[in-house]
Amino acid sequence: MSDLDKAIAQLRSCRPIPEDQVRELCHRARELLIEEGNVVTVTAPVTICGDIHGQFHDLMELFRVGGDVPDTNYLFMGDFVDRGFYSLESFLLLLCLKVRYPDRMTLIRGNHESRQITTVYGFYDECLRKYGSANVWRYCCDVFDYLALGAIVLGASSTLSPGSPEDDDTEIEVCDQGGSIISRFPRQPRPSSSQDKLDAPSKGTPDKTGPPGSGASGSSSGSVGNPTGAILCVHGGLSPLVDTVDKIRLIDRKQEVPHEGAMCDLLWSDPDEIDGWGLSPRGAGFLFGADIVKVFNHRNDLSLIARAHQLVMEGFKEMFDASIVTVWSAPNYCYRCGNVAAVLELTEDESGTGIFQRTNGDVGRSSGGVVESRGGPKHGPARRYRVFQAAPQDSRGMPAKKPVADYFL
Amino acid sequence: MSHAHELSLGIIDSASPPVFQTPTKCIHQPDDVSRFLASAAYRDIGLFILQLNHAVCPRQPAGSSTPTTFPLGSKSTRTASIRSCQTLLFSIRDLIDKAPPDPGSQRFGNVSFRKWFELLKEELGDLLDDGLLGQTLRIGNGHAKDEVASYLLGSFGSSQRLDYGTGHELNFLAFLGCLWKLGHFKDGIQGGDIERELVLLVIQPYLEIVRQLITTYTLEPAGSHGVWGLDDHSFIPYIFGSAQLTRPISSELEPMPTDGSVRGAPKPSDVTNPSIVESMRHVNMYFSAVAFINDVKKGPFWEHSPMLFDISGIKDGWGKINKGMIKMFNAEVLSKFPVIQHFPFGSLFSWDENRQPLEQGRRRQVASSHVPLS
Repeated sequence: MSDLDKAIAQLRSCRPIPEDQVRELCHRARELLIEEGNVVTVTAPVTICGDIHGQFHDLMELFRVGGDVPDTNYLFMGDFVDRGFYSLESFLLLLCLKVRYPDRMTLIRGNHESRQITTVYGFYDECLRKYGSANVWRYCCDVFDYLALGAIVLGASSTLSPGSPEDDDTEIEVCDQGGSIISRFPRQPRPSSSQDKLDAPSKGTPDKTGPPGSGASGSSSGSVGNPTGAILCVHGGLSPLVDTVDKIRLIDRKQEVPHEGAMCDLLWSDPDEIDGWGLSPRGAGFLFGADIVKVFNHRNDLSLIARAHQLVMEGFKEMFDASIVTVWSAPNYCYRCGNVAAVLELTEDESGTGIFQRTNGDVGRSSGGVVESRGGPKHGPARRYRVFQAAPQDSRGMPAKKPVADYFL
Repeated sequence: MSHAHELSLGIIDSASPPVFQTPTKCIHQPDDVSRFLASAAYRDIGLFILQLNHAVCPRQPAGSSTPTTFPLGSKSTRTASIRSCQTLLFSIRDLIDKAPPDPGSQRFGNVSFRKWFELLKEELGDLLDDGLLGQTLRIGNGHAKDEVASYLLGSFGSSQRLDYGTGHELNFLAFLGCLWKLGHFKDGIQGGDIERELVLLVIQPYLEIVRQLITTYTLEPAGSHGVWGLDDHSFIPYIFGSAQLTRPISSELEPMPTDGSVRGAPKPSDVTNPSIVESMRHVNMYFSAVAFINDVKKGPFWEHSPMLFDISGIKDGWGKINKGMIKMFNAEVLSKFPVIQHFPFGSLFSWDENRQPLEQGRRRQVASSHVPLS
């Protein structure tokens, strides 16, 4: 058993690893992450997860529900740390899994993966309490600076079970933590008038197969297909300074999260029922409306934006005609919110070129504008949400009381 | 020789009131916090808290072996100024019935809180014109009212962010401090009695209303340190609640004890025993706050409240806890930019530099309560 496997086993039992091992782990993780672009390309199948916030036992529940690593390919959209009791164990375990199975684990940065935020919201205090010094906090913050800012998921299927035609028309399936289906939503039938146009690309070679998000018209062959339009994953949301995914790729990300600018916005913004852009009550990032998402998705050949960052009681929330979804993976957040958590599973498209659907469907592209009110058709990937509740707590033993903070000495 | 009652917030001369103004924010960047710590407002907040804290500490009457304690209990009072504050608070509470929570709210914080807040804004003027409060606030041709109202409005959370925290709690203390400075509480006996009534009969009801707002509108724990803070929302009940259980003082001149508990007090470790907490929630402010945590949180206490859990292991009694709470409040609320940046300054809580250094006697008093005030 390698040292890394030992560390994984120790962290899985919720015991922190020694400081020198953290240092070594963070060093190796940084070497790995430095090679990743700002926007990582991930191929379906993938299970997309939202905020964790140090809820270690609930993270274990997530792995029980979503499948273990490396059997399941995971993408975590940040906010691993702060607020919960086990930020350290949660983040280090995810980082170990990243180093051990780099192709099965994608970690992107949340607004809490920052020196400034972690000194205020708990992770710093936690490291101090668990190690007696801030060294481990410093090692972790150095890793934060190298985390990718987003991910693009390619090759997601428009059906949940490509092998079983009876499921073909299921666009959304919601399962409980035991895997039983709670609800199913069929894909809306399309208006016949636009059907031919929308389906047209599937009859021949797709005219655009370049890397989604680049907006490039790829040559016909070779590259990974994009049957449903790509999915952009980012912690917070969009930025008025970013109109293409390529602009994200140009950011110099290896730094503390700035107070403003594109990098800040991607980690801090929220969708809202407004037109255009609005000021965020958070004091960082922006609010953005449906029109902003639709234009961005169209321009970047995206069918969906998956993001986290906001507590949603049902674990996930689709907005703006399913052009953006919030995924939240910390059940009973802060021990009191009473919410359930969710992960989003996207299945692999196994049908080669598949039925070629995009958010823009190439309709209206020639005229250069977004065609609004296309009505019924949903072009997104088929989505399975696995909803789960907080892990049972009766098995956790009470620790000895620790020395109190200096104030009480 | 110093007197304990000298440790109190001054009352303005109503014949020559200051120029009242609508309070504005002065702390714009982290560096401004050190300037705040040298301000008259900071001095006054500190004095007021220590004054209230000292008042609820148990007393040992001469010639008696039984200490006098000041538990929570009946809310009735004959003091008109206290009643005026209670009337105000209960009117504010009753607005909740007029803004029922939105059943379809998908976010955690319930949007109907915004409706409640609008109602408060609409009615605030009339509420503050009423009775004795109205009389007090007529100083300065009614401009005092605007200044004081802004602290009251800041006491119930953010309608925009749908959250509530220690900064809002601090606004309520400032609201009462404003009324104190305007002489509103002159009808009570200062130097103990009226301060006790303020804590037990005004601040505690305020905290209960806030808890009702938090549960009714599920106000978010945003801005909280999560498990690593003392409490998601509150701080002052831990100060005054520990004071209620501290070793008694035998004279009004005696400074606040920094260790020991009053006879009959629950043990600090009882905080982790839910049934004792429940039995003490209507008696003591500390236990009342912990009971609220137990109401709203699900999970092991040591895990969701590790700081309170560790504090429950303190062996030197509630006096030690009280001393620590005051130091912690100074460091984690008054000295923390994310919290204090929202505090507005006017003529009563002034951004002006503190030009009244505490005289020798007071300085000794303050030093003995271990509060870094300057």
